[in-house]
Amino acid sequence: MPDFTLISAPPLAGYNSSFGDIKLSAPKDLAIVSIALPLGGEDAAKAAITSAFGIDLPDTVGTSSPTKDGTASLMRLGADQAFVVFTSATPDAERQIAAKLNGTAYTTDQTDAWCSLEISGPGARRALERICPIDLHPDAFAVGAVARTVMEHMGAIIARTGDDSFLLLSASSSAKSFLHAVELSARNVI
Amino acid sequence: MSQINRITGGLVDRSRTMNFTFNGKSMQGYAGDTLASALLANGQVLVGRSFKYHRPRGILTDGSEEPNALVELRSGAAQEPNTRATVTELFDGLTAASQNHRGSLENDFMAITDLASPFLSAGFYYKTFMWPAAFWEKVYEPIIRKSAGLGRLSMQEDPDTYDKGFLHCDLLVIGAGPAGLSAALAAARSGARVILADEDFAPGGRLNSETYAVDGMSGTDWATQAVAELTSMDNVRLMTRTTVYGAYDHGIYGALERCTDHLPGAGGKPRQVLWRIYSKRAVLAAGATERPIAFGNNDRPGIMLASAVRTYVNRFGVAPGKRVAVLTNNDDGWRTAHDLVAKGIAVTAVIDTRNGPAPLEVAGARHIRGAGVVDTAGRRALSRITLTDGQMIDTDCLAVSGGWNPAVHLTCHQQGRPVWNEQISAFVPGNILPAGMVVAGAANGALSLGAALTAGRDAANAQLSDLGFTAPDTAAPTAEDEGFSCEPKWHIPSGKKRAWVDFQNDVTVKDIRLSHREGFKSVEHLKRYTTTGMATDQGKTSNMSALAIMSECTGKSIPETGTTIFRPPYTPVPIGALAGRSRGKDFRPYRLTPSHEWATRHGATFVEVGNWLRAQWFVKGNENGWRDSVDREVLNTRNSVGICDVTTLGKIDIQGKDAAEFLNKVYANAFAKLAVGRVRYGIMLREDGICYDDGTTARMSENHFVMTTTTANAVLVFRRMEFARQCLFPEMDVHLISTTDAWAQFAVAGPNARKLLSKIVDADSQDMSNEAFPFMACGEVTVCGGTPGRLFRISFSGELAYEIAVPARYGNSLIEALMKAGEEFGACPYGTEALGVMRIEKGHAAGNELDGRTTAHMLGMGGMVSKKKDSIGKILSQRPDMNRDDAERLVGFRPVDRSQKLIAGSHFLTKGDEATMANDQGWMTSVAWSPSLNHSVGLGFIKSGHTRMGEIVRAVSPVHNTEMDVEIVSAHFIDPEGERLRA
Repeated sequence: MPDFTLISAPPLAGYNSSFGDIKLSAPKDLAIVSIALPLGGEDAAKAAITSAFGIDLPDTVGTSSPTKDGTASLMRLGADQAFVVFTSATPDAERQIAAKLNGTAYTTDQTDAWCSLEISGPGARRALERICPIDLHPDAFAVGAVARTVMEHMGAIIARTGDDSFLLLSASSSAKSFLHAVELSARNVI
Repeated sequence: MSQINRITGGLVDRSRTMNFTFNGKSMQGYAGDTLASALLANGQVLVGRSFKYHRPRGILTDGSEEPNALVELRSGAAQEPNTRATVTELFDGLTAASQNHRGSLENDFMAITDLASPFLSAGFYYKTFMWPAAFWEKVYEPIIRKSAGLGRLSMQEDPDTYDKGFLHCDLLVIGAGPAGLSAALAAARSGARVILADEDFAPGGRLNSETYAVDGMSGTDWATQAVAELTSMDNVRLMTRTTVYGAYDHGIYGALERCTDHLPGAGGKPRQVLWRIYSKRAVLAAGATERPIAFGNNDRPGIMLASAVRTYVNRFGVAPGKRVAVLTNNDDGWRTAHDLVAKGIAVTAVIDTRNGPAPLEVAGARHIRGAGVVDTAGRRALSRITLTDGQMIDTDCLAVSGGWNPAVHLTCHQQGRPVWNEQISAFVPGNILPAGMVVAGAANGALSLGAALTAGRDAANAQLSDLGFTAPDTAAPTAEDEGFSCEPKWHIPSGKKRAWVDFQNDVTVKDIRLSHREGFKSVEHLKRYTTTGMATDQGKTSNMSALAIMSECTGKSIPETGTTIFRPPYTPVPIGALAGRSRGKDFRPYRLTPSHEWATRHGATFVEVGNWLRAQWFVKGNENGWRDSVDREVLNTRNSVGICDVTTLGKIDIQGKDAAEFLNKVYANAFAKLAVGRVRYGIMLREDGICYDDGTTARMSENHFVMTTTTANAVLVFRRMEFARQCLFPEMDVHLISTTDAWAQFAVAGPNARKLLSKIVDADSQDMSNEAFPFMACGEVTVCGGTPGRLFRISFSGELAYEIAVPARYGNSLIEALMKAGEEFGACPYGTEALGVMRIEKGHAAGNELDGRTTAHMLGMGGMVSKKKDSIGKILSQRPDMNRDDAERLVGFRPVDRSQKLIAGSHFLTKGDEATMANDQGWMTSVAWSPSLNHSVGLGFIKSGHTRMGEIVRAVSPVHNTEMDVEIVSAHFIDPEGERLRA
């Protein structure tokens, strides 16, 4: 038994709130691991991704796909970069993914780099209009779309997870400012 | 008796009475009124005093171009000066006060300035308040500020909140008049995403003010029907009370939505929202602004634009007068006369400057041809006018129409210049328009209603077919093409009577002539010299006349004379709206370190470092002032052990087969051969060879490095490396991702650091002995029973030191564990001040030394710039002038009198030299009180410093008015041999 035990305290853990028809919550135990496709080794990496997750890495930058069992999502964020987003309470997310890919791609743990918020409900888009420069009309940003952007001076990633729901990621160090920005947007439109 | 001038009809809702006060007097109006229409309904013709001469002024217009009817709206902190009554929607409980008078509005003491008007001509201030110069700020400016100016600020914090937002559309239609509605309908029916914005609260534009029919129904009904159709469509966003105020690059428009200005209070919601609209295409249907004609005493309350008169009659059900006269130079002025008669209001005369037949029949009115008005009478309101032939007509309202100016403003926001159109004697949009914009309707010079409706549809269809939409083949709405024939007539010679061109700035025809005589002939000079076209209305009713009169003076044509430049915003935008949410604590995002919560509980004082809040020091017991805490933290660390959250330093995860080679490119010193499990210090140069960042990089495995940057440059370094990777070295297999926020990282420094960490780092994950984990070692470890971590043996303090990292979510818990484990050693947390003291004592360069001007050579690290490999900045760092022998070199300083405190920013002078720039030897970059040495220590750059050890020079700070003798010493005040950090 070690003398000391560390307690996990993610910045927005347990957050859950409603503003009129807008729901805002912090997903529990969201793990994020980035995958970099090696130059010249893209095909091998993609094949490993397909066999590890049962789905292909989305071809188009700015799109994401859920795995068939819905436990993970692959976000294509750049020509050589993707995020695996899944649920894991333990601090070994990167090892889990690295083991699956067996050295075919570079992996970095991003779980703690981000804070995450899920915003949903009929008013979600109305609220996001106040901070998100991205066009969120379903014709321009369909379910599965993902984009890097800036909200209230904070770098952010937005992904459409449903007709009326979005996953927002922003730097964990400014989580409180980010939460304030999103909460205020919701308050301002209800 | 209230609302004495209210007549039947109009679009106001008579079932909803609104109580309001003007200058404390209770009045009533109806929902749908503006403050201006309600004031007129109540017979309040006099509404303000003019800017310079305190002349009585009334309401001139019915829109956002209003120069006269400016009021202070609301009270207390919410009081807003210079609010245009003509666009202020009436609400119950509204309070308004007139501006710019001392004493009452009716009896303004300052009206005496009008008598002094011969002295207050154009350029008055420039000519008068010249001498003596000492009076400029102390005497003249306060006097001028007190007597000039318009409304007063509340001097309290704005109680309202504001927001911003982003909108996207295929087609933005600016203006919801006939052309705009027609364009929006065509676009909406094609399925395109349409935003239709109008500054008014009731869409329809001129349709609400006039009596023309559209598609066989009244124009108002047609507008209502069009709005109903647009509102029912999901692909349309109709934004009323929204002014599109600027056209920016790439189809981006700025718009201000006034969300709650029409309500008694904002109810906790943003009062206004500043929108950024991303459009693929735009149709500008901003309409046109009627212009007045200048003549003697043409500023008397009761003299209004003809279009405004008919708006008050038709839209608001208000008669601006009982016996109205019309002065016009065009057919449209006749329409006002016609509409007034239709409402039963007597029109005494239509005075047409043209000598032609009456274009319309106006029952009961005399038609006076080829004439004009040269003077008016009436103390606080118009009572009589005098015509060119000397005859006088009694009238309480003169409706003036001088023709129409297309609202070309937004077409000119990107260098476009308008072109002259003879047919309507006005400027119309030129050929160079903001990308994606077309102009339709009156804004484009199509002044008839039928033409506007057709042009709107055609413009939208053309834009949409460009975007690949198929417009349904529907006919344009139809209406008559009413006459708009017009003769150019800018002013009527009125002898010595003053004829006002710019009402807002009290500029007369004479002032413009004076400007010409005194050589200010270009329109831009004219504007600055006379102030015409300045202030809240930006000359919407005056610019055209002013430049036309100038062209008469110069003998040049109007197009040769040209217009001043139109710049955003189209109408005033409150600073509060531009600031949006960026106020107080939320001015910018703030970043918290993982141990912030713990630090808050343990007496930390925080300092802003970029966006970060870092612990600056931790107060313990009854320490008296920051120095007590900082001295203790330094000594505690040097004597035992201290712990500091260093998470803010940038961390970049670098992976790839070419990662090592890539580091060789971005660092000036060599990295390719760094062994796995080792850390190296490196410096980065800009392309020009200047040193811009330093840090350490750890090789975690063959193809995996973890870089640390300075806190300040974390983003910059990442960005430059990403540029290098993508653009300079695309052939390299290297991948970057920021992990700054992913890891909580703590420096554990001091002779007991190893002992402390041995209790935290799991023994089976790392042998902590000096042999197994020497200075500059690194490795993956586990801590506190299995939590993954990273350990680096690096030292900024100069002590035996480590940095230990765990996933950020465990950071707050880790510092708790570290402190508990350190109890037996008396471990203390330390903040950025102690960190700074220790790095100065150790002679480590930081931001003060890497100030964007210093080279590796100056920093004493010239040898680190490897000659064996290429790296960014290497070539230019070899320029001879950057490697001079007498370059300023980084060295240490201590005061000769050890009790003196060094001052950062002091400049060095050789003893005996005069304190001039020519004798400057260098400057002090960083200073600290060293509790270890018990005297002040400093770092600085001084010419050939490395060869001048022991020399005494003067440190002079003219800013502080100080001077002291200092001795040049080694920058390494503590442990120059580096024994401690290798222990």
